[in-house]
Amino acid sequence: MKIAVCSKQIPDPANEVTYENGLLKRPDEQVLDDTDRYGIELALQLKEKYDAEVTIISMGPKGTLKGVQQALQMGADKALVVSDESLSGANALITANVISEVAKLSEADLIIFGTESTDGYSGTVPQQVSRFLNLDCISYVKAVEITSDKVTLTRQTLEGSEKVDMPNKCVISVTAGGVEPRYPNFKDIMAAKSKPIEDVNINELNITAKQNLKFLEIEEVENSKNGQKIIDEGEAYNTIIEKLKELKII
Amino acid sequence: MKALIVSEIVDGKLSSGSLEIVSKAEELGLEYQLITIGSEEQPIIGSNSFKQTYLKRSPNSLQYNKIADYISNVITNEQINLVFGSSTYQSRDIIAYLSVDLNSSPVSNVINFSLENDKVITLNSINGGQQLYKTEIDYSISFLLIRPKSFEPKEFELNTNFTTIEIESGNCNVYEIHKEEKAGPQLEDSKVVVSAGRGMVDASNLELINKLSEKLNAAIGGTRAIVDAGWMPYSQQVGQTGKTVKPDVYIACGISGATQHQVGMKDSKFIIAINKDEEAPIFQIADLGIVGDTLTVLPKLIENI
Repeated sequence: MKIAVCSKQIPDPANEVTYENGLLKRPDEQVLDDTDRYGIELALQLKEKYDAEVTIISMGPKGTLKGVQQALQMGADKALVVSDESLSGANALITANVISEVAKLSEADLIIFGTESTDGYSGTVPQQVSRFLNLDCISYVKAVEITSDKVTLTRQTLEGSEKVDMPNKCVISVTAGGVEPRYPNFKDIMAAKSKPIEDVNINELNITAKQNLKFLEIEEVENSKNGQKIIDEGEAYNTIIEKLKELKII
Repeated sequence: MKALIVSEIVDGKLSSGSLEIVSKAEELGLEYQLITIGSEEQPIIGSNSFKQTYLKRSPNSLQYNKIADYISNVITNEQINLVFGSSTYQSRDIIAYLSVDLNSSPVSNVINFSLENDKVITLNSINGGQQLYKTEIDYSISFLLIRPKSFEPKEFELNTNFTTIEIESGNCNVYEIHKEEKAGPQLEDSKVVVSAGRGMVDASNLELINKLSEKLNAAIGGTRAIVDAGWMPYSQQVGQTGKTVKPDVYIACGISGATQHQVGMKDSKFIIAINKDEEAPIFQIADLGIVGDTLTVLPKLIENI
């Protein structure tokens, strides 16, 4: 069985986010999106259980490839990377179009995503990829079992959870909390260095999606409320109580 | 401009997120109709004010592909230019499918939009609400995913005036449904919300949050970090990937105020924040900030209310 995990390199979330002409500024060194670690972990557990091959698919500026390396360090077998100047500022649909084409190259049966990226938050790419590939897609997955002809999964819902079965060639997006992502040890980190990272040429992909979104401007919002701020010296609770009384909560 | 609002059902009725979009469409004088997806037997989703089509799926089948096929046809046949959905599980999935069919990328997390010379201009909140990102959609068809609580919902008299289309089952079968018990005030409509973050240090300290919320008749929320850590169910997550709340009072306990969280609560009418770190971003949006240890402040607060 072959599993593809689509993961994204993003600017380190610990740093301040800046934009240039409406585009997120991406440093040369980007890291693996934490959201994707859940999908990778799930894929690795399936690999251990069902002997699968796990391929990382990543689109975006390559830079130092740190984020892709981090995915390989966790235990993925190889990576397919698409990086092209023309993809700068690609909208969700173009991104999904590219990823679906690369997923075809990977010959994956199961295509796994995080729920939404930490830097873009659009949350539509997994479903769009499934539509391009004419496959079913289930979002917010927490656990997966595989049988010969079916995938059985537990899905988080607004009211709780549900169990779903679907054809074993499918797309899923994985939410946090179902699995605990592993930390690579020294051996894993060394082993990742010799794993193949293959460049995919954008010109060999069939891209039909267009850029229909135009950045206009970024407006600053006066957000600071200049609210009252007090240092607690043991009596601050009184200020809260007075305020709650004033607001007629108590 | 002809608009379509992809809607959903909550507690047997048209969801408040859907009603917000309906209200905005009315305000702009759009020609609009609704398509609502659900599995309820007799939902209250109709109205004399708008055309409503109910796509009824089996509760045991998640056939979103077939639902999208139906809606794509409506969009093409009726030459619809503007398609809306709430940024929720179901609508987001469906809008994503439709965007492929109609070859137009959606704009997610929209908090406001305007129509100028047949162009759609959307506003997104970025950097935890410190900036607004303006986008123009350049295409004859636009897909907008609207964050709940972006618009004021008008009161609509709802009835059972709608057309039902049964959607045949697909490949994804639901064979077990688990519903968490809803106890106490709910996040969406409670006047007071008490929320917990990593500063609570340990899951056992959430007892303080429970006690405070009992005293204030408040709903309980949490940050993504503590939900991911398994301290609270996902249904209580406030923020970008969780719920958006706008209570009269929001009490943030041990929450630093990451962008992800602020997006879901910054429009609360009065924000009280308790945090050890004087530089925590939550203090920028707090009306009353207490710099101190949450675990010390909360017990005294609970005892003295």
